[in-house]
Amino acid sequence: MRRSWTPAGDTVPNLAPMVDVIMVLLVFFLLGATFDLATQGVLQTELDPRSGPGGGQAVEINPQIRIGLGDVGHGRAALVTVNQEVLGRNAFDALYRYLDDRRRAGADTQNAVVIGAQTTVRWKHVVQAMDAAVRAGFENIQFAVSLRTPGQEP
Amino acid sequence: MTLNLAPMVDVMMCLIIFFLLATKLADLEQYAVDLPWAVSAREVDSSELGRRVTIIIRRAEDGDVVAEYVVADWDGRQVTDRVLTPAEVGRLLADRARRAERSDEKLRCVVRADREVMYRHIEVVLRACGSAGISDIVFPANQGQPPEEAS
Repeated sequence: MRRSWTPAGDTVPNLAPMVDVIMVLLVFFLLGATFDLATQGVLQTELDPRSGPGGGQAVEINPQIRIGLGDVGHGRAALVTVNQEVLGRNAFDALYRYLDDRRRAGADTQNAVVIGAQTTVRWKHVVQAMDAAVRAGFENIQFAVSLRTPGQEP
Repeated sequence: MTLNLAPMVDVMMCLIIFFLLATKLADLEQYAVDLPWAVSAREVDSSELGRRVTIIIRRAEDGDVVAEYVVADWDGRQVTDRVLTPAEVGRLLADRARRAERSDEKLRCVVRADREVMYRHIEVVLRACGSAGISDIVFPANQGQPPEEAS
């Protein structure tokens, strides 16, 4: 038996429910997407090439500027020192001014600024110190790390 | 007269596919970490970072005494479905550095650390990067002043 195919003619599928579903999905993904993305950035550093590869051997860096961070009150604050001079608790603005003055006085911004922090200092305080140095125009930020024997964990 | 909705559906489908893919990719690199704040944090597109290994250091549920290391490859996929020990992080970084060297590519390490973890947990990663020969380190941060200082 031969069945003749008849064109759909003027019957158009109703897309309205599909559009409704797609709109709901679209709104979900729009709201679900993290808007924080736009406000996030990065700080970058290049480790001293002499520090590896290998066993993480000690390298001698003679920085113009050495920033020290000590833990105060189990992470509540950090005691900021620069070249042995105490600037105070969470004195990151003072650190920025100090570094800015040094740069204006002709300090080489390519020379390493070494941040040495006590192991219990919170990461946010280390980043604030790094931020102060970058804002002041220093480009070569290095981190002093304590040497441990391989396999030793914190 | 009926409105032709087909082009609108096409556009919306494209948008949905975009958001589906984008959110999946962003998922791991945005891994529930309270980032520190930095005024000088430079905004970068993730494609600018190139080939990278992302180490996520987050606080353990019982506080900040122990940090948990989660590692993601350059495509944002988690390397393992469990938390790694510092020694395993070191081995993994060395392995990825060797692979990148074989394919003659520069490898970056993105250290995505919670702002309240202790510096010693970041030290572990820095030391491992030094041993593996990865010199280019990136620290994601929120742009701006810390809220307590900004207010």
